[in-house]
Amino acid sequence: MAEHRLITAYRDDLLAQLPAHLADEVSDGLADAQEKYIGQGLNPDQAASAAIAEFGNARMVVDGFRRACPAWRAARALIVTGPVVGGWWAAALIADRAWDWPIPMAVRLLVGVMLAGSVLLLVASARARRYQQVRRAGLAGCLGLAVLDACVITTAVLLGPNLRWLLVVAVCVSAVRLTFVVGGLRRLVSQPGV
Amino acid sequence: MKAELLKGHLDALLLAALESGPRHGYAVMEALRESTGGQLDLPTGTIYPALHRLEAAGLIAGSWSVVGGRRRRCYVLTEAGRKALSGRRADWRDFAAVISAALEGAPWPSTA
Repeated sequence: MAEHRLITAYRDDLLAQLPAHLADEVSDGLADAQEKYIGQGLNPDQAASAAIAEFGNARMVVDGFRRACPAWRAARALIVTGPVVGGWWAAALIADRAWDWPIPMAVRLLVGVMLAGSVLLLVASARARRYQQVRRAGLAGCLGLAVLDACVITTAVLLGPNLRWLLVVAVCVSAVRLTFVVGGLRRLVSQPGV
Repeated sequence: MKAELLKGHLDALLLAALESGPRHGYAVMEALRESTGGQLDLPTGTIYPALHRLEAAGLIAGSWSVVGGRRRRCYVLTEAGRKALSGRRADWRDFAAVISAALEGAPWPSTA
């Protein structure tokens, strides 16, 4: 049986926002639902409409995949916890007069740019509508933050003149976040389709 | 049935729907509907992502085939999935017995 135009339009809508294999899978279910309704006596148009009503609009299906995406969940978690971690680091660095540490200005600027870039990517991942954008931006943002965390931990341990408790806590918080981010990255890389 | 009542039970429901054999996503939805007399009507945007999550966790395995000219992804329980389902069932029986005892004054442990 040729695919109904409503089913084709629904599939195209999914394909614009989801990877092809996910769109194919949902579209197959939709076509199956249409066949069920035809078997119940509806004509093809009515059956296609009933199947789409049963599945809900494509936006809802895409949202379901987006919310289940590890990149989206990681991005949201990092955005929520980011101000706390950042605030703690700021307090620790001010208390330790970090501006006196022997770090070249170019490196300081690079860290600032990486931080801003990572935050923007995480926000983009949390707000994106298309699944691929959610995944790619989340992956890049997590990677950037992991590199940053590793750098600031190493720098603080090597260059911090005296590890005050504020700095020790900041290092520990970043280490915990780094573990979380690396775990998330491993899940993202090992589940290319999700 | 209210969706919030199902929180925490979705994985077990999906594993149970696959216990009798391989099924594709829509067949899982239909199986849950039929086995509960239509009481469980979970949205598409919940079922498909959850199946992918269970597959990533190694509890089910998916494979592609072509049926009627369409690509179809079917899922089957893995050994880890069977064990997980068995554990969830035992947890549910305990939980239901405890809550029944508290809400209805039923004896605990349940003798039913």
